[in-house]
Amino acid sequence: MPVAHELSRAAAIVGAAESNEIGFTPERGLRITSLQHHIEAIKNVSDYTGIPISDIDGVFSAGWSSELAEHLGLRPNYIDTTSVGGCSFQIHVHHALAAISAGIIDIALVSHGEAGRSYRGGGGRGGGGRGEVSPAELATAAFGTFGAPSQYAHAMVRHMHAYGTTPEDFAHVAVVTRQWAMLNPRAVMFSKETDPNGGPITVEMVQNGPMIAWPMTISHCCLVCDHGGAVIVARPEIAMSLRTVPVWIAGAGESMGHSNMVEMADFTATSAAKSSRTAYEMASMGPQDMDMAMIYDSFTITAAITAEMLGLAPRGKGHTLWKEGTAAPGGSLPINTNGGGLSFNHSGMYGMQLLIEAYRQLSQTAEDGVNGIEGKQTDAQTCIVNGTGGTLSTTGTLILES
Amino acid sequence: MAYNKPVPRKGQHHEPFWEGAKNGKLMVPRCKDCGRVHWYPRLICPFCHSTNLTWTESSGKGTLYTYAVQHRAFGGWGEEAPYVTGYIDLAEGDRMMTVLRGVDASKPEEIKIGCEVRVEFEKVDDETYIPFWRVVEE
Repeated sequence: MPVAHELSRAAAIVGAAESNEIGFTPERGLRITSLQHHIEAIKNVSDYTGIPISDIDGVFSAGWSSELAEHLGLRPNYIDTTSVGGCSFQIHVHHALAAISAGIIDIALVSHGEAGRSYRGGGGRGGGGRGEVSPAELATAAFGTFGAPSQYAHAMVRHMHAYGTTPEDFAHVAVVTRQWAMLNPRAVMFSKETDPNGGPITVEMVQNGPMIAWPMTISHCCLVCDHGGAVIVARPEIAMSLRTVPVWIAGAGESMGHSNMVEMADFTATSAAKSSRTAYEMASMGPQDMDMAMIYDSFTITAAITAEMLGLAPRGKGHTLWKEGTAAPGGSLPINTNGGGLSFNHSGMYGMQLLIEAYRQLSQTAEDGVNGIEGKQTDAQTCIVNGTGGTLSTTGTLILES
Repeated sequence: MAYNKPVPRKGQHHEPFWEGAKNGKLMVPRCKDCGRVHWYPRLICPFCHSTNLTWTESSGKGTLYTYAVQHRAFGGWGEEAPYVTGYIDLAEGDRMMTVLRGVDASKPEEIKIGCEVRVEFEKVDDETYIPFWRVVEE
């Protein structure tokens, strides 16, 4: 047996919670700020775990940590504002694990609040110096792309060229992920009642929808929603003393391939290969040891490529996990059991949603009637969680274990 | 008709590119130590980390690495949608993004990855020309 990595299981996620109102909130007559999503989620996770907010000594968020800590009246010992897109929250957990293992902090708060629908385009991303022009602008600004779908479509076309895949192959990701959403009452696409486009879908329905960026129709693309979420990461002595079930961080890794897609070497491969290899090695586990997976599905192609990078399917075959039902409810490797960014909720940076669902599944709280109905809870004891940020750019991988 | 689409701001590290473009030349940065061409312009070679950089004229030849058809677009591009975007592998190395000319956006299956492309320039104003790539007829 290899000697255990010192970071492996050096901390646990001890609780997870969302803000009170998520999803298509403007349609329900609400207008909730990102800050309110943060604060509600933080209050809820404090209530859930029984950890007073005042005990938090590390604050992790995508760009907002000093504002949040001030709002909460905290004087933390560790402040992390890593903001590299949707995988920021996987990376926060990685950093929290390291900070706890090093003895710098005991209790880390990872928080997300994003009114991606109510305040669309409001964004919380950092930037360069005011008025400076990034040299990358010369390579990107003139060429007619608008947001993530316009870029990710290029990856799907390259995958089709390299591996002979078809848009219908990737449509299965959307269809199966919808099946999971129909087990999550908080999912936007839970039913025809929660959204006119909700409820069951077929490959034909996916393919016949409005074209966004060929070959991607709208159902190949994630939702744009509001969401707040928070998790608390604590050292083992604290994790074992709480009323909640600890979910152990067995492995963690992060990496990046590029920032701008023009620098992406291979449009069918991401840095998830590297970040997951680091995480697997830390955990002394491999893909065959994973009972389920939470994989960032900003687009169907993102999920399919990432499954390949995580070693869950051979190169070019990621989509088969969905097409053959492996990832579906009742399948042998459940994937995206909350209904995914495709059908549950995607606010812009979806990594927190992945974390919350992974915690719920491994703590056996995924079927609580609010966040899940009969059939959603799996018997998984291990889960690989991978976030992707930017344009298939940055990745963070966690291996969690109950 | 006046050019009505977004134009990159002229940052302080780009001058040779814009000067070349005015004269129909695609100027690209090249490292004088390792010899490799890189795109976009850097302050340091991304391959060997030398700061001994220069600009060189590209042949304006390349091949299509991948593409997509944009159906949702805004402003000046909105008037042109659907149109084909793509990534070009330069003959000299590294990759450049473009809106692809000489293709039919309504028949994306007929566009061939790996096909040969040539650069051309579109005028914005007397000081500003933007490079686009066109598929070469076989």
